[in-house]
Amino acid sequence: MAHFETQYQRLESSSTESPPGGGDLLVHVPEGAKSPWHHIENLDLFFSRISFCRARNGFTCMLIGEIFELMQFIFVVAFTTFLISCVDYDILFANKALNHSQHPTEPIKVTLPDAFLPPNVCSARIQANSFLICILVIAGVFWIHRLVKFIYNICCYWEIHSFYINALKIPMSTLPYYTWQEVQARIVQIQKEHQICIHKKELTELDIYHRILRFKNYMVAMVNKSLLPIRFRLPLLGDTVFYTRGLKYNFELIFFWGPGSLFENEWSLKAEYKRAGNRLELAEKLSTRILWIGIANFLLCPLILIWQILYAFFSYTEILKREPGSLGARCWSLYGRCYLRHFNELDHELHSRLSKGYKPASKYMNCFISPLLTIVAKNVAFFAGSILAVLIALTIYDEDVLAVEHVLTTVTLLGVGITVCRSFIPDQHLVFCPEQLLRVILAHIHYMPDHWQGNAHRYETRDEFAQLFQYKAVFILEELLSPIITPLILIICLRPKSLDIVDFFRNFTVEVVGVGDTCSFAQMDVRQHGHPAWMSAGKTEASIYQQAEDGKTELSLMHFAITNPKWQPPRESTAFIGFLKERVHRDSSVALAQQAVLPENALFSSIQSLQSESEPHSLIANVIAGSSALGFHMSRDGQASRHLSEVASALRSFSPLQSAQQPSSGFQASGRDGEGAQPRGASAMTASGADARTVSSGSSAWEGQLQSMILSEYASTEMSLHALYMHELHKQHAQLEPERHTWHRRESDESGESAHEELDTQRGGPVPIPRSASYPFSSPRQPAEETATLQTGFQRRYGGITDPGTVHRAPSHFSRLPLGGWAEDGQSARHPEPVPEESSEDELPPQIHKV
Amino acid sequence: SCPLSSRCCGPSSAGPAMNCRAEVLEVSVEGRQVEEAMLAVLHTVLLHRSTGKFHYKKEGTYSIGTVGTQDVDCDFIDFAYVRVSSEELDRALRKAVGEFKVRGKTGSMKGFKGKPNICKGPPGWSRGLVWFYQKKKSRWPFSDECIPWELWTIKVNVVNLANEQERQICREKVGEKLCEKIINIVEVMNRHEYLPKMPTQSEVDNVFDTSLKDVQPYLYKISYQITDSLGTSVTTTMRRLIKDTLAL
Repeated sequence: MAHFETQYQRLESSSTESPPGGGDLLVHVPEGAKSPWHHIENLDLFFSRISFCRARNGFTCMLIGEIFELMQFIFVVAFTTFLISCVDYDILFANKALNHSQHPTEPIKVTLPDAFLPPNVCSARIQANSFLICILVIAGVFWIHRLVKFIYNICCYWEIHSFYINALKIPMSTLPYYTWQEVQARIVQIQKEHQICIHKKELTELDIYHRILRFKNYMVAMVNKSLLPIRFRLPLLGDTVFYTRGLKYNFELIFFWGPGSLFENEWSLKAEYKRAGNRLELAEKLSTRILWIGIANFLLCPLILIWQILYAFFSYTEILKREPGSLGARCWSLYGRCYLRHFNELDHELHSRLSKGYKPASKYMNCFISPLLTIVAKNVAFFAGSILAVLIALTIYDEDVLAVEHVLTTVTLLGVGITVCRSFIPDQHLVFCPEQLLRVILAHIHYMPDHWQGNAHRYETRDEFAQLFQYKAVFILEELLSPIITPLILIICLRPKSLDIVDFFRNFTVEVVGVGDTCSFAQMDVRQHGHPAWMSAGKTEASIYQQAEDGKTELSLMHFAITNPKWQPPRESTAFIGFLKERVHRDSSVALAQQAVLPENALFSSIQSLQSESEPHSLIANVIAGSSALGFHMSRDGQASRHLSEVASALRSFSPLQSAQQPSSGFQASGRDGEGAQPRGASAMTASGADARTVSSGSSAWEGQLQSMILSEYASTEMSLHALYMHELHKQHAQLEPERHTWHRRESDESGESAHEELDTQRGGPVPIPRSASYPFSSPRQPAEETATLQTGFQRRYGGITDPGTVHRAPSHFSRLPLGGWAEDGQSARHPEPVPEESSEDELPPQIHKV
Repeated sequence: SCPLSSRCCGPSSAGPAMNCRAEVLEVSVEGRQVEEAMLAVLHTVLLHRSTGKFHYKKEGTYSIGTVGTQDVDCDFIDFAYVRVSSEELDRALRKAVGEFKVRGKTGSMKGFKGKPNICKGPPGWSRGLVWFYQKKKSRWPFSDECIPWELWTIKVNVVNLANEQERQICREKVGEKLCEKIINIVEVMNRHEYLPKMPTQSEVDNVFDTSLKDVQPYLYKISYQITDSLGTSVTTTMRRLIKDTLAL
């Protein structure tokens, strides 16, 4: 024990103090460090890994999967080499007789080993082939890279593995049966005990999402605001979208982590980019950086190209071998994934949503087979089929026919040809209804441009949809072209936008305590980024520059609130959700009145049968299909607004569906009353469905993985209905306010397509819907008079609600426009002159949210 | 640049870490006051971030030794502060501050030589950083991680004064300013925010600096802002590139 030289001296032993050195000194018990999970350094990475680990079904699955992939790679390379160098094809094809000297006269059976070359010849042949060696070396490097990656990841994910087991108390074997929401709830719980984030006592769901999706949210927002140069108008191809992984990688390199990027580190924007003072200088700097990166891309182009080809080869050959049809199959394009993604939506959520939309989407695309092609295909199939039939008949009669040279080949080729042709011939017994299909697609993908509605049968709509949902072959082709095109896009198209980019990051970055800098759109604040045409009229204070397009803010908010029922939204958002819920109530009561009048119609059941095969749970599909079918029926009668009430009633009818599942709350109405009695009634959740979920997750009877899975299914369906509902509301709004509507989606407005729609909307009256040949037609029904009166009353009410606040946009909003203006500057008629900013304002740091 | 922890594994990047509280203090002083002002701040911070030595007993309990404090009067500032009365700690801090003075001078020289882009603040500014961190033992392929949990940034602005009268005024003003800063520090300390949990005997080295004989501060590291942003960004980029290619 050291002695101290202090000016303060210890008091001479008083009666209360214990004698020094005795056993009665104050004794402490160390409390912690038992778990290593206090205060984790890189929470972004940590949470992403947790999420990824769950998506890959746990550590063991990842480990085994990776090992098998490594082995598979070796197998593919080794087998290909073997086939090229070590097989004597002359023997295999019997062009050359085997020289077995013992029995020259006997017919010789050729065995497989006979066709193999001896090892020494084999290795000599490999060594002689320098091209093959080159490929082998590259493949070896590739494999070693994957091996290193594998080992590194195993080390990293081992930590996550033990976190799952020790801290979250989720055994790896049951992890696949946990939903992300459950895992998340446990992380929130862990924070209270271990303080993995030191800034705040409690983590919210939104914090976790923000951390995992920090950069992805920025990308979604930039695509949403059409900031990134990924749409092009080419002379021959017309309106195209080019967005590949290589381009995306370069964008991320430039913005987020490359040398001299806008971000200082993974969680904060550089301080100079937060001030508007030297924005021109910074834009200049950014522009030169983009130039350099573009040049680097150009120089590295051959290397990247080789890499891409090899990568594509090794990743896709195997798929191609297994199912040749997969090239024809479509996939959601990278642009589509960005365009359709909500703010704060994790990969697996997006993936499941898009997968659900896959079948209707491909069906929709199949509607557009050209009749000419069909006729040609039919006839080709006829000729090929007759030849095939003859050959098969002959073979059945005498199988020696197969021994004739090339007969088997011919049969196979004809079979393939017929299969290809058949894919061009639509099923005779299926009736397509593009409008209906598009509606089902919308229920899953949640976003679509306004001018698609009512024009689903048009080729232009199909082409635009193909940008989101492209052929896999096109996808691969674009990937292969990407190394050449990427530097061009960077240098020619991205550089002029550098000022916009700098402005974007300055204006749309907020610092959230405990999270760092995030994209302000990802806050899903209706007040800051709401769009008046999407029901946030009156609530939003956003200028046009600040509004998220396509109702992204509103839909994202709904999506997040529905998927995370325990999340407490901020006040404005709660108000928005409450408002929407109220609308649903009111509209559904209108719809209920109508439904009493309307009998079942034929269209309903036909579409039902069409849909039931494409949906796993036809019960919910019926709700969607039924509602939209009715809605269509209405709009055909010229009252588009009834769509709304139909969807609303579907939303309503959805909630008793839930309460029927739930033994505790018998009827929907009682469920609603119960909700009021809840302590957390203030944070009104979306619709009674969500409330049912929170209630049920609290009750002990509903604990269990199966239940939570069911609930998440209901959540996705509820979100689908909400998306439909909000789109309907938006459509009505657009019809009421055609001028405002023209703002929407600058690029698409330039096409003649939406001009046509504007014409329609300006008429304000019944929208004539052009029909395609295969359009279903049901006998017209006159709605009863009382419904009509209800309807008009409803419409008037609706107009009264939405009009104020949107007709005149306060000029003060425009002062928030960035200097130099947004890209829409050319449209000066609609766009006010950018107001020069005051320098004093410029120095203000971005808003800081005290959370 | 690591005065105390010999195997320097402290925080790597220049900016504040992600999961780390950050506090910033700014002072404007005259050249000769730099040392005392810095010492005043550093000592105050460490006074609140030090405990007595732990004496572990059986059954996993421990008792805490006593810590003496002493007043220090400044020569160039009208100011007095309280510090832990540990000569070793004082020596360590003085050494760090001495280095800071040297660095600060060369740093400002650099700024004058026409590289204004490199220095973030105006040329007169220099920053001292005090990191408090925790060590985390890692498995074999990785070295021990050091995770900072609190960062104090002390921005020192050196001003030149013309005459003795100004110096007198400055003497008083700096004293007042420092007083404010000390109160700020105490306020922060009173906020009951995250502190590492008290460790068991085997882990005491991961939380506390046990190399001193008479006092036991939380593990800390004093460094200076490396304003060479280009250099750091290249290394971070390389790290990111490697990490990115390795990520799944």
